[in-house]
Amino acid sequence: MIKTVDLHKSFGKLHVLKGVSEHIAPQEVVSIIGPSGSGKSTFLRCLNLMEVPEQGQIFLDGVEITGKKVDVDLYRQRMGMVFQQFNVFPHLTVEKNITLAPVLLKKKTSAEAKEMAAVLLNKVGLYDKLNEHPSRLSGGQKQRLAIVRALAMEPEIMLFDEPTSALDPEMVGEVLNVIKGLVTEGMTTVIVTHEMGFAREISDRVLFMDDGIIAEQGPPEQLFGNSQNPRTKEFLSKVLY
Amino acid sequence: MFDSMVQNFILMIEKYWKVFLVTGLTGTLELTAIAVAFGILFGSILALIRRSNILPLRWLVAIYIEIIRGTPLLLQLYLFYFMLPQWLPMLELSKFACVAIALSLNSAAYVSEVIRSGIQAVDRGQNEAARCLGLSHVQSMLYIVMPQAIKNILPALGNEFVMMLKETSLASTFLIGDLMTSYKLVNGATYLVLEPLIFVGIIYFVMTFIISKLVGLFERRMAKGD
Repeated sequence: MIKTVDLHKSFGKLHVLKGVSEHIAPQEVVSIIGPSGSGKSTFLRCLNLMEVPEQGQIFLDGVEITGKKVDVDLYRQRMGMVFQQFNVFPHLTVEKNITLAPVLLKKKTSAEAKEMAAVLLNKVGLYDKLNEHPSRLSGGQKQRLAIVRALAMEPEIMLFDEPTSALDPEMVGEVLNVIKGLVTEGMTTVIVTHEMGFAREISDRVLFMDDGIIAEQGPPEQLFGNSQNPRTKEFLSKVLY
Repeated sequence: MFDSMVQNFILMIEKYWKVFLVTGLTGTLELTAIAVAFGILFGSILALIRRSNILPLRWLVAIYIEIIRGTPLLLQLYLFYFMLPQWLPMLELSKFACVAIALSLNSAAYVSEVIRSGIQAVDRGQNEAARCLGLSHVQSMLYIVMPQAIKNILPALGNEFVMMLKETSLASTFLIGDLMTSYKLVNGATYLVLEPLIFVGIIYFVMTFIISKLVGLFERRMAKGD
């Protein structure tokens, strides 16, 4: 579904991605773990071109999207993204947060979008907040709203960038449950996370990134239980105790 | 002494109220309105350029803003008042027009900074989230960033209006027909100093006071909307 070939990305003098080649299959659930500064988030943000790689190619369903003539906006409509900091729109009601993009981009009529917002909000237990502004929501509720907002565009892939890292501990579960629900429904998912237990539970495949490359990858049982790379072992020994 | 002052004051207002309120106040309000209106128009354009990717233009605008903010307004007024008619004789600009242009160009520099910082104050993640949903840069600015930036910008624009209202008094250097000019006229006709100064001061104060109170009221209502 998404294929990257030898991605390189630098910020100034800092060489963050040093050649990442990956292939994510339809309906696959891939977790990316690794120490901070290893390039996990940058890799994820390259997938929907929020960061433009200096070198390398990205293909979506076989079509290269790193070329110059590609309409990035059209491509991004096919991918949902959820951020660590939620980034819900504070000046819009919960409902408007969800309906704005599909209506503006003519994917849906206003009535259809509202109907969909209601269904989605019901699903994540936020229907009673329909007409509230996000300032009245807790962190966990904001993140659930952010997920629903992305889903309203009916994306083919969901990208999660440390979706629970900014949450109070007691709110982590409610967000992870929503993500788990999505995964069960067969959504293609890439998630950067520090929740090792969660990654182990939901992933088809886990990528361990270190120093700008994918140092090791494999099914969760293998990566967590029987990793071959000493750096993976060292990292896991620090985060699993 | 005090009695005679009050008497002078009343006599002066009776005789010259038209000079103060018709010539003076109108002139000041006209100049302020023109300067701020064009200031907002040009200032928005300058702010847009500074956020664009066209490097040479960005530098030009940055230099322009630095020069305007780094030199006295009075100097700018002199420059435009004397040089504009020479540079653009075919336009046959009036004195008033020259001063209005100078004030507008000055205001544009300050307003563009107000707009720029108002936009910058909106969290970067807002634009990112909008772009990730597939909105174009323009759509993101229009529907997500600007509505939030406006809350930062509008109160600051109100303050710019107050500032400009007071600064137009510099235009009286050229007897342009603002409030300070009316002081000079009355002073010339009556040799009174304190009385016309006090009266003009009251008018300035009442106007700026009302405007800043309105801005404050507006600001509080905006804050509530969040």
